[in-house]
Amino acid sequence: MSTTRHLINRQRRLAGAASRSAGPTAAPPSGDAPTADQDRERTPARDAGRTGGKRAQGRAPAAVKGTPGKACAAVKGTPGRAEPDGETPSRGARAHRAGPPAVLAVLTVLLGGFAAFAADRAADLRDRPAARNTALTDIARTSEVKGQVTTAVEAVFSYNFADAGALDQAAKTHLTGRAVQQHGEMLATVVKEGPKQKLVLTTTVTASGVEQIDKDRARVLVYADQSNTRTATKEETTYAAAMLAVEAVHEDGTWRIAGIDTFGSGS
Amino acid sequence: MARTTRNPVVAAALALTVVAAAFAGWGGWSWYGAAQDDSLAFAQKRDEALAAGRQAVQNMNTLDHRDLKGGLDTWEDSATGDLHRQLVDGRREFERQIQEAKTVTSAKVLSAAVTELDDRAGRASVMVALRITVTAPKGEPARKESRMLGELTRTPQGWKLSALGQAPVGNTAAE
Repeated sequence: MSTTRHLINRQRRLAGAASRSAGPTAAPPSGDAPTADQDRERTPARDAGRTGGKRAQGRAPAAVKGTPGKACAAVKGTPGRAEPDGETPSRGARAHRAGPPAVLAVLTVLLGGFAAFAADRAADLRDRPAARNTALTDIARTSEVKGQVTTAVEAVFSYNFADAGALDQAAKTHLTGRAVQQHGEMLATVVKEGPKQKLVLTTTVTASGVEQIDKDRARVLVYADQSNTRTATKEETTYAAAMLAVEAVHEDGTWRIAGIDTFGSGS
Repeated sequence: MARTTRNPVVAAALALTVVAAAFAGWGGWSWYGAAQDDSLAFAQKRDEALAAGRQAVQNMNTLDHRDLKGGLDTWEDSATGDLHRQLVDGRREFERQIQEAKTVTSAKVLSAAVTELDDRAGRASVMVALRITVTAPKGEPARKESRMLGELTRTPQGWKLSALGQAPVGNTAAE
């Protein structure tokens, strides 16, 4: 007897839930409390009126009259539901109960599998070397690197005997790390002979290309022309073509030269 | 009572399914986003142009007098447009010069960068820093560094050089 009543109540709850989700006129939540068996039996008309469905209307009188046969028929005619546990379920009911969790489990595995696969594909696309390198793809950063490295190279490879301190200042401003020592060695002769020979060394970048930008590190290929003028005795100027790759790091808002690659030859 | 014993299993399964669905949605969106990402696609094209440019410039600076035909065919294969025409026009004269000089020239790319890439127009500019070694029948191999500037044009067979030259020296700093 109690089984039947529970089934009927469950039917009603389902029907009520369907009607609630179907329309904005939701029923008061108290009416759906699972333990309100007596309440429910006292208000079948309200339930039936609320759901308005054919099935609900057919079942409501059955519940009132307490005719178990009709109620059971109504239950068996409703597909795809779980049955209440522990209260002498029939064989058909047991099969129904195994359904939803199994379907959900399969769904979960499928969805989880897809999630893992999709995340892996996305990570693969974004982590490729081509993707990590934002040279040219990040237009603003590319031109920023290019501009600041050009300025830095021209400054640290230029010297005027009349203002020898400017070179030190430029080195302090534009160089960092390993590049400080490299630069010192490259310009040692110029600094030593500069005042005596009245040297003026001017470096002009004629072309530059950003090979790579990976977050705060970049590599820039630079072609530069150097004019070297000695004015001590009679003025003579020599020109030299230079090419170098500069490793730059972004620190404190500016790009500084951190390494100078002259491809195994002097600048 | 009946409801509380039934609910936990289905509710937990449902909750797991919803979580899995959310992850699946997120994963799918992320995958789609990465696949449609313009800058990722552009990065790919940049690297294709760079690889083609490096190879083409190296090809154009490699020649062995013992295999002139193969070498010059590779040159013509690497070029398109005006450059290709110049190579074809000057081929005979050039063959004679190399046969007389009997030189073997090889090149190594030291560094290279794409400076411009117009994917729609199918044009790109590259800088390629080269070390060229020329070996003559007599004397030591001569090494020199070369600052190359190249223009690439996309053809049905991929990116090819349409112009190639050395970066000019001294003209900007002279005056």
